[in-house]
Amino acid sequence: MGLSELLTTYGDVYLTALLTTWKMTAVSYVGAMVLALVVTVMRVSPIRPLRVVGDLYVQVFRNIPGVSLVIIIVYALPVLKVVLDYGPSVVIACVLLGSAFGSENFMSGINTIGVGQIEAARSLGMGFVQIQRQVVIPQALRSAVLPMTNLLIAVMLTTALGSQVPLSPNELTGAVSYINTRSTGGILAFAISALGYVLTAVVIGFVGNRIDKRVRIVR
Amino acid sequence: MATEETSIQLPVIELDHVNKHYGDLHVLRDVSLSVEKGEVVVVIGPSGSGKSTLCRTINRLETIDDGRILIEGRPLPEEGRDLAAVRAEIGMVFQSFNLFAHKSILDNVTMGPVEVLGRPRKEAEAEAMELLRRVGVAEQAQKVPAQLSGGQRQRVAIARSLAMHPKAMLFDEPTSALDPEMINEVLDVMVELARQGMTMVVVTHEMNFARRVSDRVVFMADGQIVEEGSPAEFFDHPQSQRARDFLDSIKGH
Repeated sequence: MGLSELLTTYGDVYLTALLTTWKMTAVSYVGAMVLALVVTVMRVSPIRPLRVVGDLYVQVFRNIPGVSLVIIIVYALPVLKVVLDYGPSVVIACVLLGSAFGSENFMSGINTIGVGQIEAARSLGMGFVQIQRQVVIPQALRSAVLPMTNLLIAVMLTTALGSQVPLSPNELTGAVSYINTRSTGGILAFAISALGYVLTAVVIGFVGNRIDKRVRIVR
Repeated sequence: MATEETSIQLPVIELDHVNKHYGDLHVLRDVSLSVEKGEVVVVIGPSGSGKSTLCRTINRLETIDDGRILIEGRPLPEEGRDLAAVRAEIGMVFQSFNLFAHKSILDNVTMGPVEVLGRPRKEAEAEAMELLRRVGVAEQAQKVPAQLSGGQRQRVAIARSLAMHPKAMLFDEPTSALDPEMINEVLDVMVELARQGMTMVVVTHEMNFARRVSDRVVFMADGQIVEEGSPAEFFDHPQSQRARDFLDSIKGH
């Protein structure tokens, strides 16, 4: 099958797949960011059990292959009577993985804030929550823009896990399998999907750079 | 009335047989010190003598192993809201300024009053501008710390502490990170504060400041207070060999 034939036959499949990838990426990323923030606050909290749980969380989900995680969620959780739809299962896997890496990004953002600023906030009489809200989180967020941009791209690529389960509609990688089981698109069928990933990543990278330049903290 | 009178007589800061270790290192050895209201106490001594640690224990940025620290007669709380409330009443100026890098100069000064004291922002800003004028950096109010010189930053840090209307101020080597030409602009602000009756504990290597401004000089070595006295007594007639050696060593150049 040539390029024009692929596009005329499966153009709408690719388009739907691209939109699906975007949607899954957006939902996963928002979830991952929120969870990463929560986990990070746990990891820097003065309460030891919270710190331990936070660290453990990151160690676990940073070190599990995405495919294994999806298999666990889709095939193992039902044993525990937790049955999730395929779509949400993939998104949850992306959120768990993404939040572990996201928390690491926040932590390195926090480490760029000198302990001195935190001591200064303490000596003004600010409590833990105030220091987090006023001093730590705003700076950690601003210095984490570039790594978080990379994470957004990584999360997008992770949504390709959707190809391992029956999704409807398919995301970009799943669409390739779908097309290749019906026609012989070969490498070209994949190249079209790859282009979708690459162009999206280029745009994300560009926007991320712009945001970073605007919010970067001069030291 | 009676309670008010007694509280005036109590020392603002009192350390009572304070000990602290870092592992095997005994950094504070049985340190006792009391600072009266309006008094300016300068702490000097060779590096590693424990003077910064001493300063930092007073608002519990450093914990202590045993002994007591009293603020206006009340024991320093160990943690939580009570500790935060005491910290809010004691200003602290650091060697490395420690301004909030992401906030404007004005916001650095208003953060304490707005967030901790719950003052209305407008009111806090008006007072912050007044304080910035007092320390001579009002024109910089809208800039961020990185755009200011070291001397300007340290003056902002002093204004940030003053905005809390502290009962006492701690200075932990406030001029040690400054280029020589900027030291005086910071010392001038401190002299002015001392003149206005602020209770101050100043850890410093500025011997002229100690001699001119302080009411009492405390000399520390190896975690102990070796000697204390009026600046004239201390500088002209040091009692201990350690103090004589120290003064000789800084006279050398």
